[in-house]
Amino acid sequence: MTNFVLALVFGTFFGFALNKAGLTKYHKIVNVFRFTDLAVLKFMMTALVVAMSGLYALRSLGLLEFPNVPATYIVGNIIGGLIFGVGMALTGY
Amino acid sequence: MNFVMNYIRKEEWSPYVAGILLGLVGIAAVWASDSLLGASGAFENLAGLIGKAVAPAAFDNMYFNFIMPPGITYGVILLIGVFFGGMIGAATSGTLMWGKKGSANSDEQWKRIFGPQVWKRWALAFIGAIILEYAAGIAGGCTSGLAISGGMLLAPAAFLFIMGMFASGILTALIIYRKNY
Repeated sequence: MTNFVLALVFGTFFGFALNKAGLTKYHKIVNVFRFTDLAVLKFMMTALVVAMSGLYALRSLGLLEFPNVPATYIVGNIIGGLIFGVGMALTGY
Repeated sequence: MNFVMNYIRKEEWSPYVAGILLGLVGIAAVWASDSLLGASGAFENLAGLIGKAVAPAAFDNMYFNFIMPPGITYGVILLIGVFFGGMIGAATSGTLMWGKKGSANSDEQWKRIFGPQVWKRWALAFIGAIILEYAAGIAGGCTSGLAISGGMLLAPAAFLFIMGMFASGILTALIIYRKNY
């Protein structure tokens, strides 16, 4: 139950950050593919850098353990990504 | 304090500030609940739940029994939070369009490319969403669940996925926009 409350809180902050970065708008998403507005990349890469340095630092200190790392199956990941890009450019998800 | 409140009311944050916020939420999610942020999996959990109730035989397969078991999971609750978080974000900047005229098709750039009709917006969103969810099923996650959450654990899958996503995204944008690219 506490896990569900936490999920709701994290989800709210997640949605809030997405909205404020403008990722809830179609033109933001599609313009990154046209190289006219790189906000999506800036947002994603900043989140990645902050989270990966934080997580690896905390793990080294023994404060947390990693959950299941998403499985790597090269062909599936790439083909999935290729199809995903089409949908992303169409809908602005 | 005033500065912070004014910044929260801004419609568009610097992507770096919003990115730092998301990064911190990502760390907190792993630390407090041992889970990754994600979106696409939740739809599959819900689809499985509905499918098992409506057509149990069709949904009695490997995928819905083991890979994506149906149920109200952590991800489903997270998604509810995302919905309200997005609404709060829009409400604080005064751009919440809930129930207002033109809210069903409000993006200027979209209207310029595809036209102002609402049904087109909905039809394309529906088709695109099918493509997205199908692809996320193959790859094992979407932008948030695989690219960001996997990337922050340095999972190779995440970077393969980002490669594919940008390659075909750029190509699709080229086809849609042609001369205006």
